[in-house]
Amino acid sequence: MPQNPEKVIDHLQLFREPEYKEIFASKRANFEFGHPDEEVARVAEWTKSEEYKEKNFSREALTINPTKACQPLGAVFAAQGFEGTLPFVHGSQGCVAYYRSHLTRHFKEPNSAVSSSMTEDAAVFGGLNNMIDGLANTYSLYQPKMIAVLTTCMAEVIGDDLQGFIVNAKNKDSIPQDFPAPHAHTPAFVGSHVTGYDNMVKGILNYFWDAPDAAARVEDDGINIIPGFDGYAVGNNRELKRIFGLFGINATIISDVSDVFDTPTDGKFRLYDGGTTIDQVKAAKNAKATISLQEYCSPQTLSYIKDKGQDVTKLNYPVGVAATDEFLVKLAELTGKPVPAELTLERGRLVDAIADSHTHIHGKRFAIFGDPDTTYGLSRFLLEMGAEPVHILSTSGSKKWEKQVQKLLDSSPFGASGKAYGGKDLWHLRSLLFTDPVDYMIGNSYGKYLERDTKIPLIRLTYPIFDRHHHHRYPTWGYQGGLNVLVRILDKILDDMDNHTNIAGETDYSFDLIR
Amino acid sequence: MLVDKVQEVFNEPGCATNQDKSAKERKKGCTKSLKPGAAAGGCAFDGAKIALQPIADAAHLVHGPIACEGNSWDNRGSKSSHSQLYRTGFTTDLSELDVIHGAEKKLFKAIKEIVLKYDPPAVFVYQTCVPALIGDDIEAVCKFAADKLGKPIIPVNAPGFVGSKNLGNKLGGETLLDHVIGTREPEYTTPYDINIIGEYNLAGEFWQVKPLLDKMGVRILSMISGDGKYNEVASAHRAKVNMLVCSQALVNVARKMEERYGIPYFEGSFYGVSDMSDTLRNIAKLLVGRGAPNDLIARTETIITEEEARAWRRLAPYKDRLTGKRVLLFTGGVKSWSMVTALEGAGLEIIGTSVKKSTKEDKERLKKIKGEEFHMWEDLKPRDIAAMLRDAKADIMLSGGRSQFIALKAKVPWLDVNQERHVAFAGYEGIVALVEEIDKTLSNPIWRQVRLPAPWDAPAPALGETAAE
Repeated sequence: MPQNPEKVIDHLQLFREPEYKEIFASKRANFEFGHPDEEVARVAEWTKSEEYKEKNFSREALTINPTKACQPLGAVFAAQGFEGTLPFVHGSQGCVAYYRSHLTRHFKEPNSAVSSSMTEDAAVFGGLNNMIDGLANTYSLYQPKMIAVLTTCMAEVIGDDLQGFIVNAKNKDSIPQDFPAPHAHTPAFVGSHVTGYDNMVKGILNYFWDAPDAAARVEDDGINIIPGFDGYAVGNNRELKRIFGLFGINATIISDVSDVFDTPTDGKFRLYDGGTTIDQVKAAKNAKATISLQEYCSPQTLSYIKDKGQDVTKLNYPVGVAATDEFLVKLAELTGKPVPAELTLERGRLVDAIADSHTHIHGKRFAIFGDPDTTYGLSRFLLEMGAEPVHILSTSGSKKWEKQVQKLLDSSPFGASGKAYGGKDLWHLRSLLFTDPVDYMIGNSYGKYLERDTKIPLIRLTYPIFDRHHHHRYPTWGYQGGLNVLVRILDKILDDMDNHTNIAGETDYSFDLIR
Repeated sequence: MLVDKVQEVFNEPGCATNQDKSAKERKKGCTKSLKPGAAAGGCAFDGAKIALQPIADAAHLVHGPIACEGNSWDNRGSKSSHSQLYRTGFTTDLSELDVIHGAEKKLFKAIKEIVLKYDPPAVFVYQTCVPALIGDDIEAVCKFAADKLGKPIIPVNAPGFVGSKNLGNKLGGETLLDHVIGTREPEYTTPYDINIIGEYNLAGEFWQVKPLLDKMGVRILSMISGDGKYNEVASAHRAKVNMLVCSQALVNVARKMEERYGIPYFEGSFYGVSDMSDTLRNIAKLLVGRGAPNDLIARTETIITEEEARAWRRLAPYKDRLTGKRVLLFTGGVKSWSMVTALEGAGLEIIGTSVKKSTKEDKERLKKIKGEEFHMWEDLKPRDIAAMLRDAKADIMLSGGRSQFIALKAKVPWLDVNQERHVAFAGYEGIVALVEEIDKTLSNPIWRQVRLPAPWDAPAPALGETAAE
C-alpha cells in the first residue's frame, strides 16, 4: 500500500504513487469513456486559435474568471480604515464571510465585519428587525466607536431603506441616538469593489459633514488623501505618511487600513487598530483640498467633496517616476512647501535603478490585469521603462477607462501595440495570450492558472495575492514603491532567464552567475 | 625566477610600443606603474586567471586566502560548450596557521583531492600574494604533485603584487608556453588548422564566428583560451596559422609560437563588418601560404560577399534612426579601433575613444581612420570622464563594467561592451546585435527622465510670463 500509518504522506505525493496512478488509469480506461486523448488535445489546441478567440470575444452572457470583487468587499475595506469602526453588513451572513476571508487571505490578518444575518422571513417581510437586533448586538458585543452600515444584494433587492432603518433602530434604543452609524448602499449587481469603496467613503463623509449639528465649513490648510482600494495599503499608507513627514505637512488619510491589516503579535488581540479618527473625518471637511490616488475608487466621493468647495485632484495609482512626481508636485503646490531634498534623492535613486536595469525590461511585452487604476498606473510605469504594455484588462474597466488607457498608450511609442479591454475577464485574456503572446504577465494570484496554461511568467502585483505572503507590507507608491515594483518585475525576468538555462549538463553555458 | 620572467615579458619584441622605447625604459617595463591612492584595475593574479580560466575542462586552484578566489570565482561570462569545471571555485583558503607554518602541504593535498574527485586533464595552480610572501614554492609543489599524480599540474606564478592585470595576462600566456603548448600531439592534423589566441568567448560570441570558419573548412585546433580544452591547447603547436585577437593580452604567446614552431600569426578582430571580413581573408591567405589548397581563397570571398550583404541589409533599417547620434567609446585595446568603422557604418558619429589599453599600433590605426582631430584619452579619472561626457555632448557611451556607472551619473546612456556584457557582439551577427542594442538604449524612455531635472527643480518660468497672465 502506498500509505503507511508510521509515515502518512500527503496529497503532494500520495496520488503520484504507482498504485494510485494505476487506479486512475484504470478508471479512465474502464469507466469514464471520455474522448480519445487526441481529440482532447485537438480541442485544447483549438481553444488557443484565432477562431476560438472570436467566439470567446462574442460571449454575451457568461463571465469566466472575472478580475473583480463585489461592492460590499470594497465597502468593508473602506470602513475598516476608520478608527474603532465595525462594518455592519445588512443582508445575508454568507456574503460577509466571503469579504472577511478574501481580505484575510490577502493580508494574512484577522478582520472583522458583522452581518444582520437576514434569512428567508426577513427577505419576505423586510430586514428591519434584523437591523434593530443586529445593531444592538454589535454595539454591546464589540464596543465599536462607529458602525458603518452597508448592504448585500439581498437587502437591495427587497429595497430595504438603510437610512430609515438606522433611525428606527436608534429610536428603539439599539444604539444611542448620537452614535455614529453612517451607511452606504452597496449592491453587488452594480459596479465592483472599487464602486463599493467609493460609496462607503462618501457615506461616512456625508454622515459627519452633513449632520444636522455639523459646523459650517471654514477652509483651513488641511489636505485629505483618499488612497482607494489597494492591496498594498499597509505599505503604501505608511509610505504616504513617511512622505508627509518629510514634507512636514499634516495630511489626513481618509480610510487608513495600514494598522488594522498589520497588527503585531504581542499577546493582544486588536479587533480595531489605527485608522482615521472621527475627529479627523469631521475636520477633513475644512481641508482646502483632497487628492484621490485612485480616480476609479472615488468618483462619487470626489464630486461630493468638490461640491463642498474643496480643490480635488484625481490620480491613477502613482507608480513610477513621473506619476510620483505629479503627486509630489501637487502636494508642494497645495501646501506651498518645497519637495524635501530627501525625496529628490530618492527620485534620483529610482531613476538610477531603472537606468541600471533598463536593458532587461526594454521592449519586453506585458499583459496586465486588475483594477482600473492599478492597471493604468502599472502600464504607465512600464512605458516609462521602455516596456510594452500589450493587453491591459480590467473587468471593472469602463469605456471611459478604456479611452484613458488608450490615450496613455498613444503618448509613447512603446504603447503602439497596446490595447485596453474593459469589462473583459481572464478567459478573454487567455485567448489574447495565445493569439498575441507576451513575455510577462502582471496580475493577481488568479493569473497562476493562465501562467500554467500559457507558460507566460506571472508577476504578482495586483489584488488579491493569496499564494504569496507579505507583499502588501511593501509600498508600490512613491519612489521607494517604484523601486519595489521594479525589483519584482526584474526578479521575475531574471528568474525566467535562469529557468530557461538551468538544465544541468545541457544549458550550463548560459546559466550565468552575473546577470 | 619570477623576476626574470617578468623582465622577459616586459621585453616583448612583438609589442610595437616596446620597440619604440630606449633600453632603459624597456627595463622599467611596459605596464604603467601603479599610482598609490589612485583607483587601479586588477592585479597580475586576476590577469593570469582571466587568461587561463576559460580553459574549461581544467581545474583552476587558487592557492591563497579566500579573497583571491572569493572575488574571482565565476565572475566572467567566458562561455564553454563542453566542461563546466572551470566555473567551480577551488581554493586552499589559507588561514592564519597556514601563514605561520607554510601551506605547501595543504596545497599538495588540495591538488590531490581535486585529481581524485574530478579527474580533470590538468590542474592550474595559481600563486597569490600571501603564499608568495611566506615563500611557498608552488613550482616545486606542482612538479612533485605532477610526478605523484601522473597529471599535468601547472603552476601559474603571477602573484598580485608583481604588477597589473595586463602583466598577469602575459604571465598566464608564459605559463602556457612553458608548461602546456607542445606537450601533446593532436590525433590528426589538416592543412586548415588554426589556433585562436586571446579570444575569451565572452557571452558565447565566438560561436557566432565559428560557423563561418566551419563553412570555409577551417579547423580550430585550439582556442586560447575561450571555450578551450586543455589537450587541444597542449597540441596547439601543430597549427598552421595563429590568429591573435586581443593584441595586448597574449601577444607573447603568438610571437613565441612563431619563434619556436614557425607558426605565422596575424592580429585580427571579429568586431565590425570590414574587420570581420579582413580576418577571414587573412586566415585564408596565411593558410594558403602554408600549403592549403588555393580554392580556400575563392571560397572565403564568396562567404564574405554573402555575409557582408546580409549584414548591411540588416543594418540598413537602423541607419535612419541612428544617423548623427554621437558615441563615446570607453573600451580597452582592440575594440577601440575595430568598432569605429562598424558603428560609423550604422550611421553613428564617433566623437572619441579611450586608448588606455590600446597599443601604439591601435592608436596609429585610429588616427588613420579618424584623422588627427579625433579625441583619444589616455587615462581618465572618473570625475574627468563625467566632465568629458557632459562636455562632449555624447548621446551614448559604450563602455565596460567599471566606467558605465560613471556614464549614468553624468546622465549619459551607456551600453556595456566589455567582459561582463551579456550580449554577443562578435561576427557579422554581432555587429547587428550591437547596433540593435545601441538603438534600444537610445530609444529607452528612461534616458529622457535621466536627463530631465525633477519637475520642482526645473527653472521657474520667466517673470514676464507670469506678469502677462
